[in-house]
Amino acid sequence: MDFFSTIESNLLSPAVLFFALGLFAAVTRSDLKFPEALYTALTLYLLTAIGFKGGVAVSEAGLAAVWQPLLAAVGMGCLIPLVAFPLLRRLGGFDQANAGAIAAHYGSVSAVTFIAATNFLKNIAVPYESFASAFIAVMDSPAIIMGVMLGKGSLSRGASRPDQGLRRTLRDAVLGRGVLLLVGSLLIGMLSGKRGMASVEAFFVTPFQGVLALFLLEMGMVAGNRLGDLKKVGPFLLVFGLAAPLVHGSLGALLGTLAGLSVGGTTLLAVLAGSSSYIAAPAAVRLALPDANPAYSLTASLGITFPFNIVLGIPLYFEIAKFLHR
Amino acid sequence: MSLHPMKLVTVICESVLEEQVVELLRDCGVQGHTAFDVRGSGSQGLRNAEMRECGNVQIEVIVKPEAASSLLENLRAKFFEHFAMVAYESEVRVLRPQKF
Repeated sequence: MDFFSTIESNLLSPAVLFFALGLFAAVTRSDLKFPEALYTALTLYLLTAIGFKGGVAVSEAGLAAVWQPLLAAVGMGCLIPLVAFPLLRRLGGFDQANAGAIAAHYGSVSAVTFIAATNFLKNIAVPYESFASAFIAVMDSPAIIMGVMLGKGSLSRGASRPDQGLRRTLRDAVLGRGVLLLVGSLLIGMLSGKRGMASVEAFFVTPFQGVLALFLLEMGMVAGNRLGDLKKVGPFLLVFGLAAPLVHGSLGALLGTLAGLSVGGTTLLAVLAGSSSYIAAPAAVRLALPDANPAYSLTASLGITFPFNIVLGIPLYFEIAKFLHR
Repeated sequence: MSLHPMKLVTVICESVLEEQVVELLRDCGVQGHTAFDVRGSGSQGLRNAEMRECGNVQIEVIVKPEAASSLLENLRAKFFEHFAMVAYESEVRVLRPQKF
């Protein structure tokens, strides 16, 4: 399958089309609106379902097959903020707090982008390691902690403010609802294994695609509502929002290949590396780096990188993974 | 029926701050609070509450008249510089002043 037909098959999947509908609804200021409670409920469902599926996959593959890619994922989570931070400081001219905040967002991951990518792989019949959802669970926390520590550098030099926030950040990064639920469901999936899967499959697997489509409709609206803020964030962040996922995604693809993942699994690690968070990172970073302006990180993450990844990034990472596996 | 004058302190702020604000209220000796999710707009832009991260919370407490201004002062010192927050007091009258 050539590059354009992979892009086309991504663009014509229900999930991406619903995402486009959401964007359209937001841009045209339609009165279509999801209650916040539904947004939260759909997030919880998706996280539980992929966590559980991943856990069952880990129990089948055995920890021996998993630890190396898992380590690569943790490495990615630490590495990306370190790569992004100096770029944001020097080229982007951001102050320490803002650079740290944006770096934390880009180091941590978007579970929904990951899910859309597994969908994409399924559509083009490329197999992948189902335990890959365990990567999500281990990338968020190191990235957030790393970004926050980088961003706090300026504060410790000023030394005027007592650092009461780092413990809270650790807690938010490790026990935040997203990571907690994902890790918890993963463990439950691991413990209950295939038999457990048979008993919950009808709820967690069969309706999954529909729930994802519905959630992407909502995410289209959320992203679309951010488009107005693009003017305020300046041209550098626009470029960064498109270039960073490609650079991080390529790094992820490289590391995934080295860790021995298949083309599908490599694509997924690349997608995670290229994606940026809008669930775990914003809340943790807002509290830990109050000097940072959330308009920058959230607009870049939600308004630029997320739509880019959903529409073009996923097939691109797949091509990169394919190339590296040749 | 006799009603006693008290102050109602209202705080409207970013949802992520709820825990910290409630903690501060506790530290100031406040006995309880009421919180609800709200949305709106202000100097820091639109807070449309489509996700919790861009929603607001409104927290209300009733305190003794002499406690209200120090409570507001603490809120100002801790949050006003960096966060979207509006805090104000107003007059209320309650039946059981010992509750607050």
